Amino acid sequence: MIKLRIDGNEVEVNAGTPLLKAAQKLNIEIPTLCHYEGIEPYAACRVCTVEVVRGRRRRMVTACNYPATDGIEVFTDNERVRRARRLNLEMLLGRCSEVPAIRALAAKYGVEKSRFGYDPKEKCILCGLCVRMCSDIVKANVLSFAYSGPRRKVVTPFEREMATDVCIACGACAHVCPTGAITIEDLSQRRGEVPEMYLGPKTAISIPFQQAVPKVPYIDPDACIKMQTGGCGICAQVCEPEAINYKMQDEVVELDVGQILVATGYQIFDASQMAQYGYGKLDNVLSALEFEKMLNSTGPTGGRVLTKNGKEPRAIGIIHCIGSRDARYHKYCSRVCCMYALKFAHLVKDRTNAEVYQFYIDMRAFGKGYEEFYSRVLDEGVNVIRGKAAEVVEATWGNEREGHLLVRCEDTLIGKFREVPVDMVVLCAAIEPNVDQERVGQIFSLSRSPDGFFLERHPKLDPMGTVNDGIYLAGCCQGPKDIPDTVAQAQGAAARILAMIAKGEVLLDPIRASIDENLCGGCKVCNNLCPYMAITFDDVKKVSVVNETLCKGCGTCVAACPAGAITGSGFTDEQIFAEIEGILADAGNK
Amino acid sequence: MAFEPKIVGFLCNWCSYTGADLAGVSRIKWPPNVRPIRVMCSGRIDPTFVVKAFREGADGVLVSGCHPGDCHYYQGNYKALRRYHLLRRVLEQFGIHPDRLMLTWVSAAEGERWAKVTQEITERVRKLGPLHLKD
Amino acid sequence: MPYRLHMMVCAGTGCVSNRSLELRDALSAELARRGLDKEIEIVTTGCNGFCGVGPILLVQPDGIFYQKVQVKDVPLLVEEHLVKGRPVKSLMFTPPEAKEPVPRMRDIPFFGKQMLVALRNRGMIDPEKIEDYIARGGYQALAKALTTMTPKQIIEEIKASGLRGRGGGGFPTGIKWETCVHAHSEDGVRYLVCNADEGDPGAFMDRSIIEGDPHSVIEGMVIGAYAIGAHQGYIYVRHEYPLALKRFMIALDQAREYGLLGKDILGTGFDFDIEVHRGAGAFVCGESTALMASIEGRVGEPRAKYIHTVEVGLYNKPTVLNNVETFANVPVIIERGAKWFASIGTEHSKGTKVFSLAGRVKNTGLVEVPMGLSLRELIFDIGGGIADNGKFKAVQTGGPSGGFLPEDLLDLPVDYEKLYEAGSMMGSGGVVVMDHTSCMVDVARFFVDFLQSESCGKCTPCREGIKAMHGILSRICDGKGSEADLATLEELCSVVADTSLCALGGSAPNPVLTSLRYFRSEYEAHLQGKCPAGVCRALITFRINDKCTGCHLCFKACPTSAVLGEPKQMHSIIQGKCIKCGACYDVCKFEAVTKE
Repeated sequence: MIKLRIDGNEVEVNAGTPLLKAAQKLNIEIPTLCHYEGIEPYAACRVCTVEVVRGRRRRMVTACNYPATDGIEVFTDNERVRRARRLNLEMLLGRCSEVPAIRALAAKYGVEKSRFGYDPKEKCILCGLCVRMCSDIVKANVLSFAYSGPRRKVVTPFEREMATDVCIACGACAHVCPTGAITIEDLSQRRGEVPEMYLGPKTAISIPFQQAVPKVPYIDPDACIKMQTGGCGICAQVCEPEAINYKMQDEVVELDVGQILVATGYQIFDASQMAQYGYGKLDNVLSALEFEKMLNSTGPTGGRVLTKNGKEPRAIGIIHCIGSRDARYHKYCSRVCCMYALKFAHLVKDRTNAEVYQFYIDMRAFGKGYEEFYSRVLDEGVNVIRGKAAEVVEATWGNEREGHLLVRCEDTLIGKFREVPVDMVVLCAAIEPNVDQERVGQIFSLSRSPDGFFLERHPKLDPMGTVNDGIYLAGCCQGPKDIPDTVAQAQGAAARILAMIAKGEVLLDPIRASIDENLCGGCKVCNNLCPYMAITFDDVKKVSVVNETLCKGCGTCVAACPAGAITGSGFTDEQIFAEIEGILADAGNK
Repeated sequence: MAFEPKIVGFLCNWCSYTGADLAGVSRIKWPPNVRPIRVMCSGRIDPTFVVKAFREGADGVLVSGCHPGDCHYYQGNYKALRRYHLLRRVLEQFGIHPDRLMLTWVSAAEGERWAKVTQEITERVRKLGPLHLKD
Repeated sequence: MPYRLHMMVCAGTGCVSNRSLELRDALSAELARRGLDKEIEIVTTGCNGFCGVGPILLVQPDGIFYQKVQVKDVPLLVEEHLVKGRPVKSLMFTPPEAKEPVPRMRDIPFFGKQMLVALRNRGMIDPEKIEDYIARGGYQALAKALTTMTPKQIIEEIKASGLRGRGGGGFPTGIKWETCVHAHSEDGVRYLVCNADEGDPGAFMDRSIIEGDPHSVIEGMVIGAYAIGAHQGYIYVRHEYPLALKRFMIALDQAREYGLLGKDILGTGFDFDIEVHRGAGAFVCGESTALMASIEGRVGEPRAKYIHTVEVGLYNKPTVLNNVETFANVPVIIERGAKWFASIGTEHSKGTKVFSLAGRVKNTGLVEVPMGLSLRELIFDIGGGIADNGKFKAVQTGGPSGGFLPEDLLDLPVDYEKLYEAGSMMGSGGVVVMDHTSCMVDVARFFVDFLQSESCGKCTPCREGIKAMHGILSRICDGKGSEADLATLEELCSVVADTSLCALGGSAPNPVLTSLRYFRSEYEAHLQGKCPAGVCRALITFRINDKCTGCHLCFKACPTSAVLGEPKQMHSIIQGKCIKCGACYDVCKFEAVTKE
């Protein structure tokens, strides 16, 4: 540690610490345009110039990269420094005359107008942040400087207008640009299930959602530049506890467990399949999950309801039963939509002055307190239209040229066709089994009901058990249900599991094969047949022997034994023969 | 009175029996001609069971196990499949039309399929007519 | 059988472009024809420095100096001098003040006042023959250093000699080497780099040394490498120096063949080799950090040197970077001792310095003089005074970013500190002399223009500031300047010098600052709408006075038909049409066209 004085204040830092950082320790602000935490200092803008006095020597240095040494005295705001900054900013203002960031900083030093030129179009101050970001950090090497002196500029390879083949569209250059000279244009139509539902920006490292447990950030390997190109690594540089680990991989953990609670959830019906509602094609047609994210106070809009152009909508249409109660998609009712649609209506009414229209088939407010909530929402002035919306189309509202949407439907209560103009449409898409529901079902030998959800052992007597002992169900993997129902089912399943654990032992079916040593000829046919290798050959007695703890009682060996030496308890030949005789007792007599 | 075939169904415990159960739970109609006998695995079905069923007066026999790859005991259904092909030839030699025996796969989730399969074998045996072995 | 005479044909770039190689071939053919080729040897040497009078031919051992020798002169020369022993006066050089031609080289004032250390083998050896260099005592210093001295002793010797960097900075070489030795290098790797990226327009000291005596540079580099413990060296040569490159490559091969370079040098177990790196001609690549970036394969842009390159340099290793001339001095110091070297020069500037004299002097060329010589001696004694009997106005030392010094500073000695105090610098040794025909504002603008296009553009003050200066100077030259412009210029100069990233921007204001300091009246005249030197077109008018004889020459010369008048009658100029090209002024034989 060494000591130095900055503007008369003593500060202690490690030798070699850049003055900029040392000054930060004293909360002394030094302006800079070409510096960015994590990127190697470049010292090009010279705005961070300060005066350093060392013994008798006074010199002007750049704070971003001048290493602190013992005993120096630094002046960050004396007349010489202010003059240097003022003039350098005046030069930059002459170059980029209408860039707000430059204008603001120059104004701070008393420069309103530059004596060295006026260029309202130029925005780049050639600070090189984008170039360094692209080459040193991202290692994509798309941006570089070309030409020298006053002709210097930032270019893509061979100055092509589009460098989309080399640019990985990470957006880092635009992010670090201090003047807004680089803008990002989204050429793709992206929508999908990501934390912000593409309603807002997303970084490669983020906390999945605000209530996440544990609440730690994770890295999206597909978006992480470090993992894609080996560059960047800024998060590790700025993380003081050194918690970033790029080597961490997805790992498969094998656990031995006695019981399994399957709670694999559901997925949302893809509303773009129903083209008539315009999801994915029309702006401001949102899925319920996207709208929910928008309403979230930690979401991309901070909980404000906004259309794509950033305005508050004048009217919102909420369409129920998208993919539910529909013979072409899912016959069942998704059960939760009516209530969350009412919640949406309530929140919209609470936060905006927008009209809300609910397009429903039947309003299913079946739970405790639900009907009361429905009445309350109706009292709040929400319009409910009984009738499934036919389509959503673009239109213009009155003589305003601004585009909005029209919801067309038949109001079955008044028997009329209606067109309702709205600015935003929310689609209550169905809850449906996960795309890999079948695969998961196979893993756990679970049956599925015709709707594709997992089948409980008995709808009334055992709604959380399955035909397999020790495997239980909870939540929407078993069928659409709301949160109270899910909690109830999950707690019931947990209780069942705990009951089994508390008992400490498991009762097995006494279905086992056994070999009559006197009959066994020692042919060993059964030995290789057994999938559990429960049958071994006794070399002394020259007979096959069943290990009863390994045997699962499938009876394959019983059927195969040429000597009839193996019997399967519970399913002996005699028993089955008797069964056959029993069920065919009426045959032949007529 | 129309001929109502009597069909013995051997169903494995894990898939087909549960599938048949599901059909019942799901209120799916399936012909009462098929009379199920539960075994733990289709691999347990000894050819003699089938022969016994025909001797006892069955007009047809349905063997149903898990889908290939889904067997609760890994591969019991393959063994059933092996025996089924041999057994069809034996039946033919006995003068029993091999189509009176049917092997199928019905999983625990396929209540509807169970209904379909039972309808299929019932119709098939109905066409073949009574076997009259018991008399 | 030894040769009777040696004909030393100068093969420096200047003389080669004056066809000295054809001259050599003609000479050789003539000698063969006359059967003299067994008695007289022709040697092609490096640059003699007196490039203004090339091709140069020196006849040794008498030291008879012939200038501007053409192929057609060969038969006469051979007949008279070589056969009859009568040196040819018509081909000799006549100094400006002298009446008679001076036969011997050492008697010519241009050479007489010089002291050759770095250029010790000038005109004496064939640069493509290592034997010539060895015959002149070459590589003896290397042998002495490697076999009898420790690296520490060498550094002490260099420190004691007071040798300072000849590239412009003037940093003491010994201290630089010592710092490098003490700098921490994880794997012990250190590099030695020779800077031969001579970018100053009109300067050719380094080129001349490499072309004329490449081995002296190699020897200096090997000694330096031994002193700092480097095993790999680089020389960064401009691609515009093909002859220097070629000769240096030949010299490297020869040195390797002789065991003076490469593995196990002189059997001492010391390894060192040199790799040649060609620069693409960016002025800024002469800056040490930009040069190293360029060697590393990156864009040649300087970086901040708060951590010196001797500590973190090429490939982030401790690196010693010295100029060609500095290395050429090293063997002499080792051989003759620090004491001898330190006896030359001034208190803080020891030894000699090579200058390239250019501009409005009579004798242009390359000279090596002891430090402390006054500018007056340099320009008037060696340079022979102002050409065309003009009047001295200013001298610029140190290349395009050096300052202009006026007449009353002519007695300033050539010394790092003295030049710096006067607002100029030693630089790499360019000396440009200006006479009364130069407008100082225009000259300042010219150099600022050069510097703005050679700036790499990385930092704001250098890129935007020099451009702004150029804009203001152009405005003044166009007669549109104001008093406020001068204040702005001074403010700009001071901030650009204060805040620029590297020395290019740091020294770029020198021409402007010194011209403002010493020639402010010229600026003020421009503000009044007058260009005293009659250079700035916007501020001059051409008129025809009554001396006009009506010769009609100006009428014919004028490209825009601005001259009116019938032959044998007085002419006049239509100002509206005149583009101020000066064609009429140049053709008038009667001083009838005036410029004001």
